[in-house]
Amino acid sequence: MSLDLPHQGGTRKILTDISFEVHRGEFVTIVGPSGTGKTTLVRVLGGLTPCTSGSVRFNGREVDAPPEGVVIVFQDYAHALLQWRTVVRNVAFGIEGRVTACELRDRVSSALRLVGLEGYDDDFPWQLSGGMQQRVQIARALAVRPAVLLMDEPFAALDAMTKASLQDELLRVKHETDCSIVFITHDIEEAVYLGDRVAVINGSPGTIRQTFDITLGKPRDQIMTRQTAEFLKFRYAVHQAIGGVAS
Amino acid sequence: MISPHSWRRALRRVNIAGLLTIIVCLGLWELAIRAGILRYQYLPAPSAIAAGAEELAARGELSAAVLHTLEAVLLGWTIATTLGVSFGLVLGSSQLARRYSLSTIEVLRPMPAIAFIPVALLLFGFSTATELTVIVLPALWPVLVGTMQSVMNIHPRLRDVARTFRLRRVPTMIKILLPAAAPGIMVGARISLTLALVLAVLAEMVGNPEGLGYGVVSEQQALRPDLMFAYVVVIGFLGIALNALLVGALTGLSPATAAALEGRSS
Repeated sequence: MSLDLPHQGGTRKILTDISFEVHRGEFVTIVGPSGTGKTTLVRVLGGLTPCTSGSVRFNGREVDAPPEGVVIVFQDYAHALLQWRTVVRNVAFGIEGRVTACELRDRVSSALRLVGLEGYDDDFPWQLSGGMQQRVQIARALAVRPAVLLMDEPFAALDAMTKASLQDELLRVKHETDCSIVFITHDIEEAVYLGDRVAVINGSPGTIRQTFDITLGKPRDQIMTRQTAEFLKFRYAVHQAIGGVAS
Repeated sequence: MISPHSWRRALRRVNIAGLLTIIVCLGLWELAIRAGILRYQYLPAPSAIAAGAEELAARGELSAAVLHTLEAVLLGWTIATTLGVSFGLVLGSSQLARRYSLSTIEVLRPMPAIAFIPVALLLFGFSTATELTVIVLPALWPVLVGTMQSVMNIHPRLRDVARTFRLRRVPTMIKILLPAAAPGIMVGARISLTLALVLAVLAEMVGNPEGLGYGVVSEQQALRPDLMFAYVVVIGFLGIALNALLVGALTGLSPATAAALEGRSS
């Protein structure tokens, strides 16, 4: 799959020769420096931007518009949430009018429970902290019971502590729902800590040259996992693959 | 049941100093006429205007006129707002629609409202249709332009959200574009309402012989300045009341939006 975008009269190649598969229930992280087309890749995978050559397939069917069962979680939660809706109504956004009122209530409250955000039902997004707002956005995606969750640097704007706790929440959510996750990040440690597989995207136009199967045990732990020799080995390897750029 | 506490709160909301200024001004006016400092044949004192209003009310002319004007304003404003929001949504979300119609709008928009009156008179005669034409055409623009611009300014991420959740075009407009553009629409709707009252009175003065505007003109011709001023005062109060009603309705209609607006501006 590759993609050219119009640029100053001509076109510019953003992504080239990208080819990978994500299996059911797999957690794939895609890591790379900025300017390599990571966000564009998510948009192509999610059907928001069409690719110019090659194809994206989901369950064997070509993706030409956002497919059912695939939801994107955006980095900028403040813009992605509906500021005029309460937490509950934000989470209900993707399923309202598509399921019965009773199921809607169930799904919304279980999605909120999954991300550990209970007791804020009637708050508005702007009344919550950044981490909580991102939890709302993740819950909104989970409420549609997606087969694939596409996450575009969802924790990049959060502080280190919030980031760590949301990483663990996400692993737990992944364990409990068993959806596939494609997670974009520029943080090497985050990519290794979360992923079953890490793909390194590099260059301009961006391309994926190397992938690593992360054989770290589960459940993972912020302190124990991160200090194992294996974790450090993977971190080093991914680092080398990116090109020794400091993370 | 009104508790003394809420009475006190209501009292605190009244701007005593501002009210006092008005009372003093009215007092000076009254004094100036009685003392013979102001000598115009047709300038009545506030007390005479009040008596005039009482007379009109007793004859039943005042309430009939108020009802007519109110009806025309509300009807005209509703039509203008509905059309303005609908066209504004389409224009705001489609560049193609903008390319074809923006120049037409720019030609029509600055046309003075009063220019439409003779045209409408020829077409519809001395009727409410004339009055509505004169109200709707100019009152349309603030809502249309306000809606269009707020829709164009909506962050592109919200459209991405609508797409990733597979919303169709119409639900996207209702669930995303309309609420996201609501603050701009409300500003336009308020300007439009003020404008609608002005235009209604104007149309009644020269086109449709009914309502408050006609009252002002006919009492002027009958050389009854006290009654004429009474109509003018009532028009003023109607404007204040309509604006207050709209602001109250908008905050009451959607406390969430109001809260969100407050939260954002703070």
